[in-house]
Amino acid sequence: MANEVPATRMISIRQMTKTLGTQQVLRGVDLEIERGETCVILGRSGCGKSVLLKHLIGLFQPTSGEVWVDGDEITKLRERQLGGIRKKVGMLFQGAALFDSMNVEENLAFPLREAGVKSEAEIRDRVAEALEMVDLAGEQKKMPEKLSGGMRKRVGLARTIVGRPACLLYDEPTTGLDPIASDSINHLIRRLQKRLQVTSVVVTHDMRTAFTTADRVAFLHEGRTYFHGTVDVLKKVADPIITDFIEGRSGDVS
Amino acid sequence: MVTALGRLALQFLQYLGELALLVYETCVALVVAPIRWRLVMRQIVEVGWRSQLVVIVTGMFTGAVLTAQMYFQFAVLGMESATGSVVAVALFRELGPVLTGLMVAGRVGATSAAEIGTMKVTEQIDALRALAVHPIDYLVIPRVLALVLSMPLLVAQSVGLGIVSSYLVGVHLLNIPGPFFLENLYSYVRLRDLKMALSKGFCFGVVIIFVSCHQGLNAKEGAVGVGRAPTEAVVISSLAILIMNFFLTFLLNMVFPYGK
Repeated sequence: MANEVPATRMISIRQMTKTLGTQQVLRGVDLEIERGETCVILGRSGCGKSVLLKHLIGLFQPTSGEVWVDGDEITKLRERQLGGIRKKVGMLFQGAALFDSMNVEENLAFPLREAGVKSEAEIRDRVAEALEMVDLAGEQKKMPEKLSGGMRKRVGLARTIVGRPACLLYDEPTTGLDPIASDSINHLIRRLQKRLQVTSVVVTHDMRTAFTTADRVAFLHEGRTYFHGTVDVLKKVADPIITDFIEGRSGDVS
Repeated sequence: MVTALGRLALQFLQYLGELALLVYETCVALVVAPIRWRLVMRQIVEVGWRSQLVVIVTGMFTGAVLTAQMYFQFAVLGMESATGSVVAVALFRELGPVLTGLMVAGRVGATSAAEIGTMKVTEQIDALRALAVHPIDYLVIPRVLALVLSMPLLVAQSVGLGIVSSYLVGVHLLNIPGPFFLENLYSYVRLRDLKMALSKGFCFGVVIIFVSCHQGLNAKEGAVGVGRAPTEAVVISSLAILIMNFFLTFLLNMVFPYGK
């Protein structure tokens, strides 16, 4: 079924299922993400959002179904064949996943050196530029353990964008941050989106992140795409599963 | 009971399968991926240089104590001057490689499993993959190359120091005549003994590093999971060294037959 994806589409997930151990985490997810848009994937903790996200960069292989990224079907690719996709798609991990044996500058230079950039001057400039984009100019020499949670996320984000990907994946970008740091990450996502013209996929259960950053929202429930549409439509939906989630009601009484 | 035994056997087979897969992927990577020599060098420093203390102490004291025990037994028979050669052969063939292997398993195996395990549970390995770097190329290959290069040298060093300390203890402390000690050493120690020592060192290095990298790469979430990886790496590689040593002894005896 090659070439069925329109050129305007960055990501296309079709009837994807994933079983981890004995548990079927995803039971048939369909999702289309256009080039340049920001799609926020919402859902309760443990509903498989992060697992879904990791499929988009080949860290997981689906049990069945298709994943198209930038016109290529990636589910059949082997680890060494995924390099091309991974240069186009960058991922910010939940805990930032900075290499703790390297300082900030080395962390950012790592993807450039691995991609074969030889000129030290170019590496230095691009590292500085990426740090400036995440408001951390001049922090090159710090070690990851000296950074606060919010700063780590920013450095992780800088490392993701330094290779200039066309698509950014954010795994719970505000989880574990205080409200102020969360807000600044949300605005950062929005700003990078405008400045770099990238496609963004944000996995979160933070409604603020969803409302600040999203063009469209996908709501995952019981391993399926339960809702997919714009924020305005989401706010008007009368479905109790969605309204309970947005307003944070568990149905329990105390 | 039977089910439990069966499950244990299956787990063991699965473990061997995973290990074999890691070895296979490493061999593939050696062919298709560029080798990061800077990382190999760094690991050699980590493995070779930082193991100096344990290797020196192990080698010297093993040689010393073995000399004393041999002397006490041989003195009864009046063949004190044979002490040096027996000690040397024992060091070359068994004690040097095995004890060095066990010490390196404790140091390098534990460190590798802990480092890789921590990277696994903090998503650093996923981050490597997301940045289009194969974890085998970056984490396993440099460690494998460093250890298989270093282990034979560490074994040689440990054996050499053991013989030196044997000479010191035997000749200067226990008053074995020096020329007789050396004469016996020259006539009974052959090149095949050195070949056996180096081959064993190489094989133990391979076992230690693959077992440890495997434990690290398969570390489970949480403090318990990361804590278990180095422990199991040391336990499994130590047991493997002891068991493998028995079979290697027979094999190497065939590969390097007596008198050649």
